[in-house]
Amino acid sequence: MPELSLAEKLEILADGAKYDVSCASSGSSRRNKGGIGNAAQCGICHSWTADGRCVSLLKILLTNACIYDCAYCVNRRSNDTRRVLLTPAEVAELTIGFYRRNAIEGLFLSTGVVKDPDHTMELLIEATSILREEHRFNGYIHVKVVPGADLLLVDRLGRLADRVSVNMELPSRESLQLLAPDKSREAIVAPMKRVGELIVQTKEERKVSRKIPPFAPAGQSTQLIIGASGESDLQIVSLAAGLYGRLSMKRVYYSAFIPVNTDTRLPSVVGTPPLVREHRLYQADWLMRYYGFAAGELLDEEHPNLDLSLDPKAGWALRNLHLFPVEVNRAPLELLLRVPGIGVRSAQRIVGARRGGHLSLDDLALLGVVMKRARYFVTARGRFGADMTPDAAGLQARLTERTTPRPRWSQPSLFDGANAIDIRSTITGEL
Amino acid sequence: MILRYDGTFAGFLTAVALARERSAEPEAITDREPEQQGLFAAVEEVETDRDRAGELYQLIRRTLPAGAVQTLRYAFHAGEPGREILLFRYLQLGLTTGPRFGAMLAHEAVIPVWKLARAVGREAHRYKGLVRFRQLEGDVWYAAMEPDHRILPLIAPHFAARFADQRWIIHDRRRNEAVAFDPARREWADIPLEVTGPLPLSAGEELFRDLWQRYFDRLSIAERHNPKLQRQNLPLKHRRHLPEFERE
Ligand code: SF4
Repeated sequence: MPELSLAEKLEILADGAKYDVSCASSGSSRRNKGGIGNAAQCGICHSWTADGRCVSLLKILLTNACIYDCAYCVNRRSNDTRRVLLTPAEVAELTIGFYRRNAIEGLFLSTGVVKDPDHTMELLIEATSILREEHRFNGYIHVKVVPGADLLLVDRLGRLADRVSVNMELPSRESLQLLAPDKSREAIVAPMKRVGELIVQTKEERKVSRKIPPFAPAGQSTQLIIGASGESDLQIVSLAAGLYGRLSMKRVYYSAFIPVNTDTRLPSVVGTPPLVREHRLYQADWLMRYYGFAAGELLDEEHPNLDLSLDPKAGWALRNLHLFPVEVNRAPLELLLRVPGIGVRSAQRIVGARRGGHLSLDDLALLGVVMKRARYFVTARGRFGADMTPDAAGLQARLTERTTPRPRWSQPSLFDGANAIDIRSTITGEL
Repeated sequence: MILRYDGTFAGFLTAVALARERSAEPEAITDREPEQQGLFAAVEEVETDRDRAGELYQLIRRTLPAGAVQTLRYAFHAGEPGREILLFRYLQLGLTTGPRFGAMLAHEAVIPVWKLARAVGREAHRYKGLVRFRQLEGDVWYAAMEPDHRILPLIAPHFAARFADQRWIIHDRRRNEAVAFDPARREWADIPLEVTGPLPLSAGEELFRDLWQRYFDRLSIAERHNPKLQRQNLPLKHRRHLPEFERE
């Protein structure tokens, strides 16, 4: 077999990594101390792919060879594909080459499991330390932790990387056993816990001495596949809430299941990844992290799944109409945040601007409020700007998003038309 | 009164100081040639006076809240002609209002300036990702761009911190201006620059261009194909100097 060129290896290994959805490079502010690179506190996108996603990191696998056989994965052992491996030095060379051209914010390194989890972790650590030590690279590095690896290796990796993540992939123990029989829940949760502890502990230590190297300063994240198994949105959202609360998780990513293998254990979907559901989950997640919503306010046993045609904040407002309309000149920030059409920034702007004088309905639009939605839920100086009093049925019809759901999610027209706000939110989950 | 200044921030502040002394609002403050001959007579050339500009700037910093000063600086870099008079009104209001100025976001003299600043800020942030270097012979890293606003001075510090060991040039080809960074002295300088012929690329440049293009093509997921969304996020005008969109 002829040796593959670097370009060919890159293609194969980028292919294997692209389904991983986390792309954020934000949240770490690494300073450049005489070498190359730094990490910007807020994320920087460098390009956008033909599917509209932002490119900010070199997202690549160290190898697509794997000893495991997870049902949903392209790289699983039983697939008959060409296996390639980059050396740690090659990973570093590619990263630096792209970085110097300002094509990327940094590296996102994932991998199949070669030989065993520990050996694989050692290769990841080597690639990362070549970058940090030989190239004196201070840019952003996100590395996947291999479930089942020795926790001491997890410690070492976390001191070199900005972010580490252990992918949970499946939202319950049962699904995990069915679809990823080689990986146990414990092998996934143990490193997560360890990372969570070390993040908290290192932060404390660094308050005393700055000499202690940071541990995963951009935090840890994980990813859940949506729609490959039968869990409800309530189960998924509660799981996410628990991860944020107990494991100091920074982000949970949701990835609509895309079938790449034929496997009887997987649902038979015909080319229609549940993108709208994924989008609603990001919105719900965003509401929990930035708007002060608890999981139980968004979903309960009676309504275990998010309404696909309505964003979850509007859904909550419709169930709580007795709280509305709110007077924007008096309402506390927490309540403003719960008004459909008012985002975090516009809520803060309202609070700032009303110190200078009473706001009118016209002022709100200038402050970035989406009046199309908000007008049913606010008054300004006592004035109500909608042509109807809020009642659930009528509002439901008005707030339902025309563009969703569509029979085929892959149509480019999914995000067209009046929904300019939602187009952005598809990327970030921002409401 | 039409005041013509040299295009620098200090020049602009000198013009503002002059107008304030005469307690008059100029019809225009501009760094361009007046378009109509007839107007020419009314144009007064302002000679940049660093001391005067500095004095006014100190007054601004003492009187206006920090956010408002930042807004002023960003809006000054906007590409829109006529921005100066908006800035003048904004400053007049700010200097009479003082610290309360920060809460006057909805005021008619504030909104247009705030919008300009936001547009400039967005473009500057966006170009932190879209400035794309090529390695030239002699280990110089060159990037071309054509932004709507004059963002070079706003993004230079970012690249100076990030590529501190690289000799680089970022070139605004619309305005024939550039910043050049010298890693030995860790300083950058504004230089006029015009490129006429093809640039001499380094030996490894083609390889990395090819690697990047291949990588980029592999990244997108066919099932999620959505060129409309791609165009929304990355309008065509921003693609001009990105290798992933430059193909034969
Ligand atoms: S362990 Fe990871 S790479 Fe290996 S088959 Fe499972 S998901 Fe794929």
